[in-house]
This record gives sequence, C-alpha cells and structure tokens, in this order.
Amino acid sequence: MRIARFLAKRSLHGLFVVWGVVTTAFLLRFVAPGSAISVVAPIDATPEMKEAIALELGLNKPLYVQYAEYIAGLFRGDMGYSYVSNTEASTRIFSKLPATLELAFAGTLIAIVLSIPLGVISATRRNTPADYGATLFSLLGISTPNFWLGIMLVLVFAVEFNLFPTSRRPIGLDVAMASLLFEFNVDPIVRWLSHIILPAVALGTYFTALITRLTRSEMLDELGKTYINAVRAKGIPEVLVQYRHALRNALIPVVTVLGLQLGSVIGGAVITEAVFSWPGLGTLIINAVNARDWPIIQGSLIVIGSGFVIVNIGVDALYAYLNPEIDNE
Amino acid sequence: MISPRTLRNLKTEFRRSSLAQLGVLLMLVIIATAVFAPFIAPHNPTEQDLEQAHLPPVGVTITENNSTSEMVDGEMTIVMEEETINASAAHPLGTDSLGRDMLSRVIYGTRTSLIVSLLGTAIAATFGVTVGLIAGYYNNWIDDTLMRTADVMLAFPSLVLAIALVGVWGSASIAVPDPFVALGFVQDMPETFTLPGTVILVAGLVNWVWFARVARGEALSIRSQEYVKAAHATGADNPFIIRKHVFPNSVTPVLVLATLLVASVVLLESALSFLGFSGTTLSWGFDIAQGRQYLASSWWIAMVPGIAIVLAVISINLIGDWLRDALDPEMDEGESRGGA
Repeated sequence: MRIARFLAKRSLHGLFVVWGVVTTAFLLRFVAPGSAISVVAPIDATPEMKEAIALELGLNKPLYVQYAEYIAGLFRGDMGYSYVSNTEASTRIFSKLPATLELAFAGTLIAIVLSIPLGVISATRRNTPADYGATLFSLLGISTPNFWLGIMLVLVFAVEFNLFPTSRRPIGLDVAMASLLFEFNVDPIVRWLSHIILPAVALGTYFTALITRLTRSEMLDELGKTYINAVRAKGIPEVLVQYRHALRNALIPVVTVLGLQLGSVIGGAVITEAVFSWPGLGTLIINAVNARDWPIIQGSLIVIGSGFVIVNIGVDALYAYLNPEIDNE
Repeated sequence: MISPRTLRNLKTEFRRSSLAQLGVLLMLVIIATAVFAPFIAPHNPTEQDLEQAHLPPVGVTITENNSTSEMVDGEMTIVMEEETINASAAHPLGTDSLGRDMLSRVIYGTRTSLIVSLLGTAIAATFGVTVGLIAGYYNNWIDDTLMRTADVMLAFPSLVLAIALVGVWGSASIAVPDPFVALGFVQDMPETFTLPGTVILVAGLVNWVWFARVARGEALSIRSQEYVKAAHATGADNPFIIRKHVFPNSVTPVLVLATLLVASVVLLESALSFLGFSGTTLSWGFDIAQGRQYLASSWWIAMVPGIAIVLAVISINLIGDWLRDALDPEMDEGESRGGA
C-alpha cells in the first residue's frame, strides 16, 4: 500500500518529466540554425519545390500547430518520417533499441557483479594489498575514457591475440536465446557473447570503478557504526555481520547512484557503439546528427529520456523497498 | 568564503595524503604544459613530414613484412622483405600518419582539454549557482520551475544531449592568437590556437543543473537560520543577504563539485573530438580517432593521447578526493558526480 501510493505519486511526476523531455526534443529543431527544408530538399531545388516540401511536411505551419501535431503523433506512436531514409522514425529507432539495451545491460551487469564484491573486500580488508589494488583499479577506471579503453581492448584482444572479433553485432540476443532454448544450439549465444564482451567491458569499467569506490566508502561507514558492534557482540559470525547487516545498509545509496548513473550508461553506450560499429541507438543518433535528420534525433532523445524516467521510477520503488524509513514525500 | 578552519583542514589533509600531493603535482605539470606549450613542444604539432610518418615511439621497433611480386622468366614470384622501422630520438613518442610529432600534439592537446574543461565548468558553475541560490533562497515558483527543469535535464544523458547540440549548432571554432608566438618569443609554432566555442558552451549547458541543485540545497538550509533573520531585521535586502550570507556558505560544496565536473568535461571534450564534432584538430580525442584507423600497424597514435587523458583525469580526481575528504566528509560519490 505504502509502496503503491509512492509509485502513483512518482508516476505522475514521471509523466511531467516525459512531457518536458518531449518539449525539449521538439524545440531543439527550432534553436538550430538552418531550416529543416534545406535538409530534405535537393541542393538545386527551386523555391516552388521547397514550398511544396514544406507544405507536405507541415514545416510552414505555426510553431504551436506543429507542436500539437507532433504530440498527437506521439500518442499514435508516430514520430514522423526520417528525412534521409524515408522510413518511419519510430520503426528505425525501435529496431536499433535492442542492440543498445543489450550493451547497456551487459555493461551494467559487469559493473554490479564485479564492483560490489570488490568494494566489500576493499572495505573489510582495509589497508591490505587487496584494498590498494581495488583502490588503484577504481581510480584508473573512473579516469579512463571508455572509447579509448575500447580501442585498447581491440588492440590487445582482437588485433594482437585475435581472441575476440573487433566489431559489429552479427546476431541479436533474442535470436541467440531462441535457438538456445528451442534448438539447444549454443553456437549463436557464444557468437553473441564473443561480440559483446569487449564493448561491454569498455562500457562497464567506468561504472565498475565508480560503484567499487562507493561500496567501499559506504561499507566503511556502516562498519564503523555502533549497531555493528551490537551485532558482533551477539556472536554473529563476521561474514554474516558484513554481508547480511552492513552490506544491506551500504547498498541503499549504491542503488540510488545506480539509478542516477543509468543515463550516463546510455551516454557511454552511444560512444562505445561508435568504437565497435555496434548497430544501436548511438550509431543512429550520430548519423542522424550529421545528416540533420530531425525526426530521428528528436525521437531518439524522447525514447532515451523517457526510458530514463521509467527506469528511475523502478529504482525508486526498489529504494522504497530497501529502506523502510523512506519518506513518502 | 573559505574560513581559516577550512584552510587548516585542507593543509592537514594535504600533508597526510600522498595521493593528494601526487594529484596537485601532476596538475601543476599539466597547467605548465598547457601554458608554455610553444616552448615545450619539440616540433610544430601541425607540421607534416611524410618521410617521417608512422615512426614508433622510442624503445619500440616495428618490423613490417612487405611482399612484392616480381616477374622472373615469365613466372610470378613473391618476394618477402622484412623492413625494420626504428624510432627516432627527434620524435620521442613517435609520429602519426602524416609524420606529425606525437609528443608535440599531446602537449598542444593539453591546452584544448584544459581550456575547454575550465571554461565549460566556469559557465556551468556561474549560471547554476546563481539560479540555484535564488531558487533555494526564495523557495517559490522559481524554485519549482528550477527543480522541474533539472528533472528534465537529468533525463538526458549529457553526452547524448551534447552530441545533439554540438552536431546541429556546428563547432563555432574561435581562433585565438598564441601570445608567445605573436610577441615573437618562439618561431615555427602555430600562430593561432583553436577554441571549440560550441563545445565550451554545451559543456556549460549540460552541466549547470548539478551546480544549481547543490547551491539550492545550501540556500534552502541557510534561509531559515537565525543570522539570516537577524540580517533581515537590520534592514538588509534579499540580494545583499544572498551575496553576503548565502553564497559564501555554498562555496565549499560547489568547489568539490566543480573539481569532479572538470574531470567529466575533459572526458566529454575528448569524446566529442573523437566523434569529430568539436572543430579542433589539436585535441587528444581527435588524435585517438585518427590513430584508430592505423591500429594494426601504428598503435601508438591512438594509445599516446589516451594516456594523456587518463593522467589528466586521474590528477583532477585525486585533487577532488583531497578536497572532499578535507571539506565535505558527508558528500557521497556519484550523487555529486555528473556523468561523463
């Protein structure tokens, strides 16, 4: 009940933010120099031709009419037609989305699986070589640009040792999983894994380092609190003290930061895609920006922004569950 | 603004932490490199010399297998020739595909990186702190508008928003004359230095929200304090109170945040340059992009500028850790860190 009311409130707020995201994405075209017509029209187009194109795309209507029509279109799932490829923008965007989500998910998974144990080990064995190693790793990790790390991974693991392919995504996770489950064929999933491992590591390293640092400092905080002494005094084994009691509380801020950082996971995925020719939203956006393909730019921004809002409502719900003290405000 | 106690904390922490000392030392080297680039660089970073292209860094020898086919007595034979390319002492970090000196390019890249990150952060801080203080202090409709705007801004990954803005606005490169060259202290160095105007502006635009949030929080907590009420009672007007009482209290957390953001703008600038959006060709990110094409043969072209980025960001992060440990033990990592 408590969580349900909390969720309802957050969803209402989320709806507002999505409206803001849509409006920002829409207005972006109007603060950019150059008219959209010149993007679509051929270079040698006559004024009459331009006029006709503007009429067809509705570009000569007043701003508020275009805005209303754009929002009405969004409700129907219509984001307009790509100026360049003459396909529906929404079709193009949603066909690229799985690749980006796979990459972001794989990167986040690596980060969560590695960083929390690393942070705990670092905190519980403070000032040992293990702690120094983890601290050095996390300092390097938060200081390394992921696109450069990606190139260096390619250099070492693809060019020098030829262990993994350098780029591209020959097969989607959905297809790979389907053939694993229905045909008991492991080859496609292995192929998928071998292609995603380098980009996922390149993307995930920054977040691994960030969460390691955070987990370490939160664990140190918790382990220094008096309730830990009380738990120890009861004779609870140290492993349980650390993992069941201290870690549970230390994870609360970690979850918050994970939610806040999701946006930058997508931002990181955009540039990682550029390094690995990964056919996702990032590659789509970069090409669209270069071609001034407005429906694609606007649509991608809306999809990414709305996705962030939805995921953060989920994170907030998780947060409310982890922390019974949470304020309903 | 910065109390004697704060200064004392800073000093104590600096003496205690060798990492803080390392960070400051590195930063001093970086600043000196950026300022005195024309004196330090052994070559003009834009000077091409195709005879000297693809030279490896000192200590590295490259062997290349060249196969040429020859017609001998009407039969085709393939002759394998092994060619060794030795490093040259004139180019300690090697040369790129056009024979430009990598060391000089990395030295000049320091300028781009440092200027963009400092100016970008300064724009974000000035705008963000002003809006944040006003919003938090008055706590009225301005505050509501700010917080909602912040929520919308934070829904966009800053890199994606930056790509969209820089991409559609163009790079707006500003050529600034290099004072050392203009005054005749050095010859044979680039006469102007290209500032990527849009990148600086966009770095400010996508990051001001972080400052606004922090400043607002401080203003909110201070507005109901006794001494602010006392200032009111003595007839001080609101702008005066904000300047004299509220602003000084926000300086410390803003400083810590600014350090983190300088690091994230260094990464943002390199990413935009890597993607070819920044309009300057003397940038670490740009060199990584051009080196990527020759990864299999001349790997150092992509590797060297990346190491420079890592060193610069490590230095800023070490300084950030020092400031945070000394000034603000309550601040959490990540909550304050703008995503790169």
